[in-house]
Amino acid sequence: MTKKIFHSMFFVASVAMLLGILLIMGVLFAYFRTVQKNRLVSELRLTAAAVEMGGEAYLESFQVDDCRLTWVGADGIVLFDSQGETADMENHADREEVKEALETGKGESSRYSTTLMEETLYCAKRLSDGTVLRISVSYASVPALLFGLLQPLLVVFVIALLCSILLSKRLSRKIVQPLNAIDLDQPLENEAYDELSPLLTHIGRQQREISAQKQELEDRQDEFYTVIENMNEGLVLLNAKGIILSINPAALAFFHADTAVGRDLIEIERSPEIEKAFESAAQHGKSSLQVSRSGREYQVNLNRIGPQNDMSGMVLLIFDITEKVFAERNRQEFTANVSHELKTPLHSIMGSAELLENGLVKEEDIPRFIGYIRNESARLVALIEDIIRLSQLDEASAPEMEPVELYELAAGEVESLTQPAKAKNVSISMEGESVTISGVRQLLHEVIYNLCDNAIKYNVDGGWVKVRVSKTADGAALVVADSGIGIPAEHQDRIFERFYRVDKSHSKESGGTGLGLSIVKHAVQYMGGTISLDSTPGVGTTVTVSFHKKESRP
Amino acid sequence: MRSKFDQQLSQLNKELIQMGAKCEEVIAMAAKALATGDCELAKNVAPVDKEIDQMERSIEGLCLKLLLQQQPVARDLRQISAALKMITDMERIGDQAEDIAEIVTFLGGRTGAECGPILAMAEASIEMVTQSVDAFVNRDVALAKKAIEHDDVVDDYFVKVKSSLISLIAEKPEDGEYALDLLMIAKYIERIGDHATNIAEWVVFSVTGTHKGEIL
Repeated sequence: MTKKIFHSMFFVASVAMLLGILLIMGVLFAYFRTVQKNRLVSELRLTAAAVEMGGEAYLESFQVDDCRLTWVGADGIVLFDSQGETADMENHADREEVKEALETGKGESSRYSTTLMEETLYCAKRLSDGTVLRISVSYASVPALLFGLLQPLLVVFVIALLCSILLSKRLSRKIVQPLNAIDLDQPLENEAYDELSPLLTHIGRQQREISAQKQELEDRQDEFYTVIENMNEGLVLLNAKGIILSINPAALAFFHADTAVGRDLIEIERSPEIEKAFESAAQHGKSSLQVSRSGREYQVNLNRIGPQNDMSGMVLLIFDITEKVFAERNRQEFTANVSHELKTPLHSIMGSAELLENGLVKEEDIPRFIGYIRNESARLVALIEDIIRLSQLDEASAPEMEPVELYELAAGEVESLTQPAKAKNVSISMEGESVTISGVRQLLHEVIYNLCDNAIKYNVDGGWVKVRVSKTADGAALVVADSGIGIPAEHQDRIFERFYRVDKSHSKESGGTGLGLSIVKHAVQYMGGTISLDSTPGVGTTVTVSFHKKESRP
Repeated sequence: MRSKFDQQLSQLNKELIQMGAKCEEVIAMAAKALATGDCELAKNVAPVDKEIDQMERSIEGLCLKLLLQQQPVARDLRQISAALKMITDMERIGDQAEDIAEIVTFLGGRTGAECGPILAMAEASIEMVTQSVDAFVNRDVALAKKAIEHDDVVDDYFVKVKSSLISLIAEKPEDGEYALDLLMIAKYIERIGDHATNIAEWVVFSVTGTHKGEIL
């Protein structure tokens, strides 16, 4: 800015100075030349008059410093010269002014001497005797004057330079100061030059646009982070080099890491499987693997971002598939169990039937074998019925809920089980109060029957079973307590699974299908109740079924 | 120039972690081969050890290149020199694991109750290696010190294994060779623990500049 101002200022000063000199030189020089010429003419006239009167004697006394006086004869021979010897001088007849004076009476001319850079002005006049008197004066020409003026001119130039520097500095400071003072954050509140207001308005508008866009971006990012931070699946974003760009808390928990952004994936996870999966995904676009970690099963899906030769990153998604794996295992176990449980009685039936067919059974044993077949068939039927009931419960296509008098129903069940209990030398008793709950009579029957049946079946000789029905704060409770063999702690979680038995070798002896408690669980769930178990091996088991008044079907 | 240096340093870091992971893998393989008497698995240990050797050479080359071309100072220099020392220990861990696997093939798949404490010992040594590598990854001095302390557990196991093997020889003199092989394995595992200790000490050095309490 300063430089530019300085340049233009100095340029203007120089141009003005030059123009001034040229003007002075041009106009004044011409003026002085005229003055000089007039003076010459008048001087010549006076001198001519004097010469006419005084002759050569006047010329001898002629004393003028700046003029030169020459007297030329009619034939051109120099008769007298105020500067120099006349003898050395050549004939002046062909000199322009002399020639002119000889012809017309007076003449004038000017000659320029390049070596002396002087101009000489001549004026000539014919005297009455035919001789010519010439007067001349020399003065410096324009270039010579300029040459002489060089020194003062240089001084003026330097002064102009210094003034330009000083002025341009001050000026530019003055011009720039309001520009520097502009507050670009508040472009519209400045009082700078009017010329700037369109620019400032433009900046102001752009600033508003930028801040709006920034706000939008931030909002979107917040949205994104809220989503990934609250999802159960782990999400990791990697760049092409495997540096973590973004990771959510679920993934951090999976990798057991505190901080991860900006670090290499290998720093928080160096299992060879994941590295292999990463490479495979970089090659083939995606890969997935199953990892078991701290007792849970995870599926890790890797997806490449961008084409193979120009990969821009990788997305890792980590799902907890423990439930799925567990369910799969359950289903497999269930299928295996069902086939096994169905096959066992069928084999007994087939064996007995074959023996009978081949006549290998003694006459008196035949009823016993037929009894086997009947018992095993009954077992099979019971099993299939249980399975059907279970699948009905699974599909939740059970009948409508209705008000049921729980105490009455339980008392009926206890009554009907008294006989089998007596056979095992177990006492069974009923206590409690009358409660009406909302449930399904058939399902409640299954629940009470199975619980009591188990309590009797897995009891000790001379043991007891107590059934109690009571009101609770938000519904009713059915408690079946026994003094039985109890359930070891490690099995308590699993006894509600299908076909699960604590003691697998005794399944035949105690009868039952292994589905009883599973049915109980499903039935209670269907009616919106909860079931809890409290058991000590060798002391007894207490099963509590709570029904809630509020109809809260799952 | 510096950005290249940083890039090479992070490359060194990455390769060291990979090598550490391989060490963990190789010990786990050898221990599993011992536990199951799986000669096939034991034979697979040797190629992994070869990989570890290869990694050692590659990291060595990288370290020398860094030292010569970048002339690092202070913390960077410590990190690189510690890396040079650590890879030697890691390579030795790989060798010990290979030796264990070799003995397992000699045993011809024999395994028994005597192996129980040896396996526990192997687990403890894997834990140590994991801790030292974790300490390196996170520049965690406290974890490195924990790994160093953990060596006592491995040493205790070694004493236990030794006395149980002495009683095994006393009871069944015909199993002498078997017992001695197991003792060798236990010794190798004990050595692995020592190497893990060394690694942890070098981690401490690379972070604090002191090695075994001395300023180097």
